[in-house]
Amino acid sequence: MTKLSVVRASAGVIDGSAASADLDLSAEVCVIGSGAGGAVVASVLAAAGVSVILVEEGGYFSTADFDMHEAHTVPKLYQESMQRATADLAISVLQGRAVGGTTVVNWTTSFRTPEDVVAHWATKHAVGGFHHADLVPHYEAIEARLSVHQVDESAMNRNNKKLYEGCKSKGFAVAPTRRNVYQCMQTGYCGTGCPINAKRSMLVTLVPDAIDAGARLLFRCRVDRLESSAGEITSAQCTLLDASGYGVTGKRATIKARRFILSGGAINSPAVLLRSGLNDNGLVGTRTFLHPTIGVTGLYDEPIEAFYGAPQTAASHAFAHRGDDVGFFMEAAPGYPVLSATAMPGFGASHRRLMETSSRRTVHIALAIDGFHDDVPGGTVKVRPSGAPLLEYPIPPRLWEAFRTAQRRLAEINFASGAKEVTTLHDPPVTATSDKDLDRLDAAPWEPCRVGVFTAHQMGGCRMGDDPKSAIVRSEDLRHHVLKNLHVIDGSVFPTSLGVNPQESIYGLARLMATRLAGR
Amino acid sequence: MNRRSFLQRGLFGGAVLLLGGGGLSLYPTRRVASPTRPLRVLDDRGFQVIAAVAARVISSPDADPGVLAERIDESLSRLPAESQHDLAGLVGLFENALPGLLLDGRVTPFTRLDAAAQDRALESWRDSRLVVRRSGYHALRRLCFVAYYGDESAWPGIHYKGPPDVKGFSHDDSKAGTPGWIAAQDQAGAP
Ligand SMILES: Cc1cc2nc3c(=O)[nH]c(=O)nc-3n(C[C@H](O)[C@H](O)[C@H](O)COP(=O)(O)OP(=O)(O)OC[C@H]3O[C@@H](n4cnc5c(N)ncnc54)[C@H](O)[C@@H]3O)c2cc1C
Repeated sequence: MTKLSVVRASAGVIDGSAASADLDLSAEVCVIGSGAGGAVVASVLAAAGVSVILVEEGGYFSTADFDMHEAHTVPKLYQESMQRATADLAISVLQGRAVGGTTVVNWTTSFRTPEDVVAHWATKHAVGGFHHADLVPHYEAIEARLSVHQVDESAMNRNNKKLYEGCKSKGFAVAPTRRNVYQCMQTGYCGTGCPINAKRSMLVTLVPDAIDAGARLLFRCRVDRLESSAGEITSAQCTLLDASGYGVTGKRATIKARRFILSGGAINSPAVLLRSGLNDNGLVGTRTFLHPTIGVTGLYDEPIEAFYGAPQTAASHAFAHRGDDVGFFMEAAPGYPVLSATAMPGFGASHRRLMETSSRRTVHIALAIDGFHDDVPGGTVKVRPSGAPLLEYPIPPRLWEAFRTAQRRLAEINFASGAKEVTTLHDPPVTATSDKDLDRLDAAPWEPCRVGVFTAHQMGGCRMGDDPKSAIVRSEDLRHHVLKNLHVIDGSVFPTSLGVNPQESIYGLARLMATRLAGR
Repeated sequence: MNRRSFLQRGLFGGAVLLLGGGGLSLYPTRRVASPTRPLRVLDDRGFQVIAAVAARVISSPDADPGVLAERIDESLSRLPAESQHDLAGLVGLFENALPGLLLDGRVTPFTRLDAAAQDRALESWRDSRLVVRRSGYHALRRLCFVAYYGDESAWPGIHYKGPPDVKGFSHDDSKAGTPGWIAAQDQAGAP
């Protein structure tokens, strides 16, 4: 029995905001970022007896912080307080920032990487270092550790049931999801930090495992730059952040290690390399993928209460493979008040009318599968003068087409489930009251900042592949092609998006790679 | 912040130059509300503009534009430096750069327009052919909604009963739910 409260108080846990002097630390391995990738690597290496220091920019929170109140939790748990966005503000970027990374706020949907995606990487992106079969034992181990299991259909909330039943009556393939939860009481607030530790996030599983096995954790510590000489990283140069997470203390940390593992997640890991001037082949930050996401909201006579109940218990991959057209998959999203209000179109009285009926509305989303078509190359991460990352993501015509088709399918699903009205997230919105109106949705303006587009799945930017001219890290061990003691192990190494929610793909790949490193 | 650096950095990296205008108006900004504490990011003029925008964006009798503007000022402090500067700049431009809203041959600041004209100003940014104006509209709108709907006083109005009571349900064990842990619990006859 490993008490979380005991682990948090152990001597190996260092709060960077409380340091009264600059810190000088060293370990055999320094892992940067404690999310899906970093926590797995730190726990595997620490268990193998390697001395590990795990560095995290965000805070170390617990159920005491997770009060299910967006105004209290979002500034603590999300990058830029959930105000991160693409340069033109056309795509809102939801991404976590805390011990445990984005897994602290994710919605627990668990998929293995589709086999055809791993095969596509091998043929199109020179990923020769592993096959699907190599990943399977690692998925199994993670699934056991994180209590991943299929949800019970009868436990679906009404928001998911409308999606599920609507898909069934339209003949669109749909299935209950698998979730990494144990004794979940279905509060619905996965997105603001699980209030009862039912979600088996990295915060309550592999980060404690790593600390238990002797890893040290330094939080409120942002790695600004990696210093290198003679083809090797020599140290990580860091800024210590204050307890709010948004200011600096004026103190710094220097971390020396024999090996560095960059696990800051997409957007953030490329930014560390760019700030460090480590971009020999000019590809760092390119091919950043988002599963760009659009939504509709269906209005019903009965209560839907999309804020209560497990947020994502049904998923449809009926349109994931569309040949020359970009595929998409369809899921539900939780309707917390601020999340709903910022997604709903308009302002003043028209917006207010949508909000006043929000408890009778579904929130259904379609996630476009970017990176598999030559003319859907994703976005590019740059750094601003302050060092903060900036993502540019021009939306190409094929993606707009996918959005348009997906929105129509989502609307059809809602009408099949009995919706009185379906509203798009265009501004001004387009409203339909039956299938007959759906041509109107097709005619809606599809341009940046005329329709809400979101991402909760950032991938790529440090892609793996065995050709140094077209990749950042090689695929056998995710080691940097040039820097011999630097590995990137997180969602940023994927050479395309995934077509499924990413967490388990990252866990599985990270565990395979960490196991290979531990054996050296 | 000087205009040059603002334009170089751009609105979140975008080309704010396209917004045009932005010079000083002949009319001063109208005072809409008074901050009750020192502002963190906005200057007083920016505060007035944001309060005036919030009064139009949030259509609810209980909304207090001054309170919302204070919350927005606070939330801006959590953005990267460039975004803070850009937003402060955006607010200044919004106050004065409103092509098509010429009265007496002069540009009337947003804060001095009547409510209907303020709504038209917001709509003209929303419907603009320039992405940067549309971005600006969305940035302003978003800030207001975060400030208003984040507070529990707004919840009854949208029939949201708030989070459930979870007292006594929390696990304090990193191994909870793993196969070995479940077997041990079963043996011990735990719940
Ligand atoms: C709202 C939401 C819901 C989601 N729902 C699901 C879901 O249901 N299923 C699913 O599979 N996926 C879901 N995801 C996505 C999934 O959680 C992420 O894809 C995954 O956690 C990414 O793992 P990662 O290791 O790449 O990065 P992260 O988990 O984001 O971890 C990176 C960590 O590194 C830290 N860091 C970054 N840069 C630095 C630095 N310079 N110095 C120090 N620390 C740094 C960050 O603060 C962060 O904590 C969701 C995401 C969101 C936002």
